Amino acid sequence: MTSVRSHAARLLLTLVVALCVVFARPGAAEAVVYAQIEGTGSTWSELIVQQWIADVDANGMKVVYTGGGSSKGRKDFSQSSTDFAISEIPYQGTDELGNADTSNGREFAYLPIVAGGTAFTYQLKIGGKLVKNLRLSGDTISKIFTNQITNWNDPAITADNNGRAFPSLSITPVVRSDGSGTTAQFTSWMDKEYPDIWQAFYGKAGLTSYYPRQGRALGQAGSDQVMNTIAGFAGNGTIGYVEYSYPLNKDYPVVKVLNKAGFFVEPTQYNTAVALTQAQINQDVSSPLYLTQVLDKVYANPDPRAYPISSYSYMVIPTGASDTRMTTAKRQTIADFLYYSLCAGQTKAGPYGYSPLPLNLVQASFDQVAKLKVADPAVDVTDRDVKSCNNPTFDGKNLSKNKLAEIAPQPAACDKTGAGPCGTETGTGVPSTDGGAVDPAAAPAAPVAGGAVVAPAAPVVDPATGAVIPVDQAPVVADPATGEVVASAPVAGGQVAQSEIYANPTELASSRPLDNRTFGWLAAALLVGLVVLPGIYSTGLRRRRLARARS
Amino acid sequence: MPRTLSRRATGADAVFEHGARVVGASVLVITGGVGLFLAWQAYPTLQRYGVGFFTESQWQPDQDVIGIAAVLVGTVSVALVAMTIAFPLSVLVALYVSEYAPAKARSTLVSLIDLMAAVPSIIYGLWGFFLIMPYAAELAVWLQRNLGWIPFFEVVGSDPNAAVTDTTRYVASAFCAGIAVSMMVMPMACAVMRQVFSQTPQGEKEAALALGATRWGMVGAVVLPFGRGGIIGGTMLGLGRALGETIAVVLIVSPAFEIKPRILEVGTSTVSSLIAGRFGEASASQLSALLAAGFVLFVITLGVNTIAAVMVNRSRSGAGTDA
Repeated sequence: MTSVRSHAARLLLTLVVALCVVFARPGAAEAVVYAQIEGTGSTWSELIVQQWIADVDANGMKVVYTGGGSSKGRKDFSQSSTDFAISEIPYQGTDELGNADTSNGREFAYLPIVAGGTAFTYQLKIGGKLVKNLRLSGDTISKIFTNQITNWNDPAITADNNGRAFPSLSITPVVRSDGSGTTAQFTSWMDKEYPDIWQAFYGKAGLTSYYPRQGRALGQAGSDQVMNTIAGFAGNGTIGYVEYSYPLNKDYPVVKVLNKAGFFVEPTQYNTAVALTQAQINQDVSSPLYLTQVLDKVYANPDPRAYPISSYSYMVIPTGASDTRMTTAKRQTIADFLYYSLCAGQTKAGPYGYSPLPLNLVQASFDQVAKLKVADPAVDVTDRDVKSCNNPTFDGKNLSKNKLAEIAPQPAACDKTGAGPCGTETGTGVPSTDGGAVDPAAAPAAPVAGGAVVAPAAPVVDPATGAVIPVDQAPVVADPATGEVVASAPVAGGQVAQSEIYANPTELASSRPLDNRTFGWLAAALLVGLVVLPGIYSTGLRRRRLARARS
Repeated sequence: MPRTLSRRATGADAVFEHGARVVGASVLVITGGVGLFLAWQAYPTLQRYGVGFFTESQWQPDQDVIGIAAVLVGTVSVALVAMTIAFPLSVLVALYVSEYAPAKARSTLVSLIDLMAAVPSIIYGLWGFFLIMPYAAELAVWLQRNLGWIPFFEVVGSDPNAAVTDTTRYVASAFCAGIAVSMMVMPMACAVMRQVFSQTPQGEKEAALALGATRWGMVGAVVLPFGRGGIIGGTMLGLGRALGETIAVVLIVSPAFEIKPRILEVGTSTVSSLIAGRFGEASASQLSALLAAGFVLFVITLGVNTIAAVMVNRSRSGAGTDA
């Protein structure tokens, strides 16, 4: 009897302790009830969203986000199988496959969650070393992805890199095989900026979420698989498009894309923020497309710091009062998750390869979140002030300014067309610039001065002949016996790490099949001998011993 | 008046008999239900595209061009690669376990093989993508260089003798996917074969040994002929699984819709990987098309598995012994 009672007492004690633990958790202190929310959608913004989810987990908010592509996100939301969706583009009405792309009558609101740049990451090796400072114009990029430029030694690529030639290697574009917002952003840019190239390839005008893969191009599902393929062992010669965070995380280079001011820039948080100052945001509150983006002016932004293919990523939240999936607890979780993401979470955008939202969009997003309270008065959205967010774009005094875009450093002189190329590596999150003008308080790391490294003005003098060698052509070392080129010498004055940048690509002839075959047979004969000969030898020995024993 | 004997079960017997019958029949109902559901869903697509559904290779719902010729070829080529690797492996492993392995190690080996069957297919997919593919690509280059004159070892657009091989052409292929799938198929085929081998009549094996046969002679003369039905049946069961393998294939291949017997070349697509890849964002009409593809796969797998089951059953009755 006593044992039963003590057992019960212990159980009660455990329960009480457990309850105490539950209520003592931060965030649950003010008795806010959360429920797990689930979402699918964009892999473009997935990395930062997963980071936010990890951050709010300690506050008792359980958010599950599984990517799968923007098209899937929009469709899952329209079928009421998720609580929210993340998509690069709004519902299209009718999608390019001729199917309905609507929310199916489910009431919703768009709100921007983060900005970023669609980057082109690549694997291109010279002498076993990754090229990390490739520059391409939009024209060249469009031709690469429409199979018009198919080799890295193409004159257009050489011209973009100021005369620096790359080895003869086939280009393998890696595109998304699933319905993707990244594809939509990329094709929208090509459609607006290079309609001749894109529309001839696609067969019609407009953007698409489903890349029309042809020829050598490889299709991969999801940004992470595209990145894995490019960074993989067989990635030499590949180029693909993903959000800047993927190469940044993987320590992989990105293409510096030519902007309208004639500079090649990388999509760091600064360059994206500068470009997006020209984004046209739908300000018609009554429109279903309220807050969505028109990026034509971003593509053509004349600022020398702007990265052309910059965009915002959007969350779709359910605002209907009678939404079948929603409860007060779920709405509260969405509201508080978004409060963290749009406010404190934006400080993480830069280091993760995205760019924080400017103040006016954070404020507009807050207003959209407030629609959750309209749908359900029990939702608590009080005490939300944009000024309290530690957002790097905010200037405490003037809220209408985007501080990040103002402190963005000017590109290095060697990043201009006809100059350079700069020796600085890309994919580091740090813009290449000549001055150290970035406010260190706002920048995660001081930018590297890129122009100084290569010293484009100093021509190299050949020590033997006294002849001046142009900078874009490295002196080559010839074998004294055969006169054949064996290696490129490092440029005098340049750092050792820079020598590969000026390596003159040499093309080797195919190996001779005859050699392979001869040595193949020899190897096979050796193997057979190795297996068979000891046996024959030992049999012979035994026979001789037997014969001796008999005699 | 002689007492009539009733064979009808009464009381608890009757309850059990009927209960068992109902449960047994439910398997048929479920399988039949799956088939009917797929057929019902596939009907609009099959009606719309007709025979073209089986002869068209492109899958472009936006241009109203839908066909499964390419994915069927892809499915078969992945499955054949898988079986080419899995068949010798599973026969030899089953023989070793049932005839050669020391009695102490036997149970450990059996549970290890069963463990292989229990590993989730996504693990095999990741294993294939990150660990196997680099080596598979090298092997593919070698195969093309030396056996490239065989049509299915050809790789269009790549010279295997180039100084720097264009590795991008040799990955994400039916060959790479087939290797991962073979590892999933092997334990299944192996289990069936081992079971049949272990049913070889002990007397006949001892008779063979008594007549002076070596152990290999005994295996060749008694075990293999007796287990022939099991070998074929196990292979077919494995083939059935290989045809339907999904996640590992989705992870490894790069989707391409061309009729491509060239197994080493980059890009292919199977029915199940097509469904898995397109299901998430499919609209109603696309879903019907995907389910039509699924229906075809269902019928093929059902056929293969039925043949396998018939063969395994025959071998158990010992019909193969006098062959």
